[in-house]
Amino acid sequence: MKSREQEYKEIFIAEALEYFDSLNRHISELEKQPQDDRILAEIFRLLHNLKANAKAIGYLQISDVSHKLETAFSLIRNKELSFSDEVVTVLFDGIDMLGELITNVDSPIPVEPDPVLLRNLDIIVDSLSDSTIELAKVQKYTTTKNLSLSDLIYIQIKKLDHMLNLVGELIIDRDRIISLSRELNNDDLKVVSSHLYRITEELQYSVMDARLVNIGTLFNKFPRIVRDIASAERKDINLEIQGQDIQIDRNILQIITDSLLHLVRNAITHGIEMPEQREKAKKSRAGSILLSARNDRDNVVIKLKDDGRGIDLKKVKKTAVKNKLVAADVAEDLPDSEVLSFLFEPGFSTADEVTEYSGRGVGLDVVKNAIDSIGGRLQVDSKLGVGTTFTMQLPTSIAVKGALLFEVDTIFYAIPLLHTEQVIALDKDELHEVGDVMVADLKGETVTVVYLHELLNADEATINFGDKTRLKGQVQNIVVVSYNNRKLGLIVDKLYRQQDIVVKPLSKPLDKVDLYGGVTLLGSGKVCLVLDVPAITRYFIQKR
Amino acid sequence: MKRILIVDDSFYMRTMLKNMLTDAGYEVVGEAPNGQTALELAKETNPDLITLDVILPDNTGLDVLKGIKKDQPDMKVIIVSAVGQEVIVNEAMEYGALSYIVKPFSEEKVLEVVSKALQD
Amino acid sequence: MAKQKTEETAATPKESTPVIDTPAPLQNGAKPNDQGKPQEPAVKEENVHLIVFKLGEEHYAIKIEQVKEVTITPSITRMPRTPDFVQGVANIRGDIIAIVDLEKRFGIRPAPVTEGLNPNVTYTLVIEAKEYSIGIVVKEVPQSLNLAMSKIDKTPSFLQDTNIKDNYIEGIAKVDSKLIIVLDMFRILSSDEIKQLTGK
Repeated sequence: MKSREQEYKEIFIAEALEYFDSLNRHISELEKQPQDDRILAEIFRLLHNLKANAKAIGYLQISDVSHKLETAFSLIRNKELSFSDEVVTVLFDGIDMLGELITNVDSPIPVEPDPVLLRNLDIIVDSLSDSTIELAKVQKYTTTKNLSLSDLIYIQIKKLDHMLNLVGELIIDRDRIISLSRELNNDDLKVVSSHLYRITEELQYSVMDARLVNIGTLFNKFPRIVRDIASAERKDINLEIQGQDIQIDRNILQIITDSLLHLVRNAITHGIEMPEQREKAKKSRAGSILLSARNDRDNVVIKLKDDGRGIDLKKVKKTAVKNKLVAADVAEDLPDSEVLSFLFEPGFSTADEVTEYSGRGVGLDVVKNAIDSIGGRLQVDSKLGVGTTFTMQLPTSIAVKGALLFEVDTIFYAIPLLHTEQVIALDKDELHEVGDVMVADLKGETVTVVYLHELLNADEATINFGDKTRLKGQVQNIVVVSYNNRKLGLIVDKLYRQQDIVVKPLSKPLDKVDLYGGVTLLGSGKVCLVLDVPAITRYFIQKR
Repeated sequence: MKRILIVDDSFYMRTMLKNMLTDAGYEVVGEAPNGQTALELAKETNPDLITLDVILPDNTGLDVLKGIKKDQPDMKVIIVSAVGQEVIVNEAMEYGALSYIVKPFSEEKVLEVVSKALQD
Repeated sequence: MAKQKTEETAATPKESTPVIDTPAPLQNGAKPNDQGKPQEPAVKEENVHLIVFKLGEEHYAIKIEQVKEVTITPSITRMPRTPDFVQGVANIRGDIIAIVDLEKRFGIRPAPVTEGLNPNVTYTLVIEAKEYSIGIVVKEVPQSLNLAMSKIDKTPSFLQDTNIKDNYIEGIAKVDSKLIIVLDMFRILSSDEIKQLTGK
């Protein structure tokens, strides 16, 4: 975890470098207008701050040199020292020295201030322009002055977005060229296209890599936030943070920021009990919250775990029945995971009180939507009295996703792998008509199965998900997807390969059609529709 | 929760002060990097206490102090200064500053001065 | 990728001319094929350049500034669960745009199949609005037409009775015996109704 010391250090260095640049500018101005009091005052202020800050953080050499320079400038200000050529040289050297010290604060080999320079500074300060004492020539800083530019650049995220979009376009064209070269069966073209493949792949990863940031940039804000909320709620909380160095696309991190904040607030306000209650429940007075990140294949998994009171499933069921999300008799037999998924329904809240930090009319559905929008997954596990864990599964990068390609009624579709659980081929006889749906037994788990052709293409008035006779052929290819703790098997006509796809957002006015997360172009130039698993699941439930 | 306004031209100093104060349960209602902003924020936020750096880019801390005291005579102001500015500090005390902190400051010292000032 | 503009038709054809070579299929978007003889425009008379096409039995037109290109309709991928006037999406020079059928949109009865017209070839007018493009499918080759502004009647009274909301219609032009309904595509695109295809 980036400690507060680390943060202070970074702020100190950034500010000190800024001061250094300003000092250089001002002293050059001063050389031209030695009488300008405003410039002198500004130089004095900068040195003064540098001295105080350096002293506070413990960089005594910097504070020492700043102090000497500050003294020199205050003498000049009080007209006790003249701004002569010799003095100017020493002051320039001194400021260069400061720059050297600041930039090398982190260097493993400590930079020592040149003793000759320190002596020169002492001379001009102490001797009060007594020119009889010789100022020694300082070699290092006057002759070997090198212009060094920072190795880091700041870049607007917009520019990186643009680059990523271009790479996406390039990949689509590349796939088209590869497919053409196969069709034409030209060896030269094949060689070039395979080279093109490698280069674009490398380019794609370089651009994606340039957008990655440490998750710590977000996580490290939480100790402070947790502290503030906890103190407002009069609760004791120990926050543990893990995996700050895991990297993720900056825009994805941006999108989940509010969601994570919301979940943390909830955990403190509604999850963790008051210290007295915890003692009664034989728990430690202080609640603990664990915020962790780890890599899982190409994804990043963020977990937020608390050891609070947990979610009362009975209460959730009651509210779900009250809000008419489910019939009372059905609710009784629902598996826990399905009960918990009610929490993500719009406006669903079991919290009785609205406090300063929680509530605010924002429900978990908003969090869910944010995660959905970037193609991620959100899950919740909870045990009454023991605690609650939220798990976010996020793509590392936005544009390129692994996806499963298939065909339904001669149209190509893709589903992001993040939402697919497994792919299975079942005999028609292994599908059972139960009520108005089909179900299948997948390794002991009963999963609802839906014929995607029926879901997408049947007349909405006569749609029937429970009619096996509508299936074509004997063997059924099923893509099992999962959303909101709920598994759903999708029967497809033809199953193709797994492939990295570049999802293009649908342009207006189609962008609001929520069944589709976007489109992608296949190597053949054909348009492939990318299904949005959350929307498909919702549509199925609505039509059932 | 007592509300405090921090006036200091150094971001580093403001961050340190802010962390120290909020860790101790105070609410930092504003941070001013210069005299002009300080005067505006003092009126706007009407804090319980102001910590005031004496050297600012646009005015001296003394001018800011006088400005604040003119409109809000009861405002509690603590001077933050570095070693060697005793003259200014003394002058500030004459203009109604309650107390002073000398940079580099320790957390204990800051909190002691602040809590004492707020009690008075 | 160069986007060919139809505006390259500089001169003033007296009669309407096809904007697309027909029936030979085109490789790329065609630009208007200007076959008309250049002619000095009438003094002070402001002209308007239209792309004329048929919906049902009637002639409709869009101002050329609103048309990005005219092309043989590429292969369209149907999008299930969108309103039926949305034919689907198509890849036009790397941009994937929605293709709509205005006959269905406005409830216009399609004309019977004309003799000698290949029913498998249709034409797409790519309309470019501020934020996006959209394709409009027509069965016959669109024509280019130059017309004096004064020939367009801006306020025909019968409009209340049509299915097309009157503010989509810029005016009615009479050329010889033909009646041409000039549509304002930007109004159609920005109207709330086309946004209703969001509604599912």
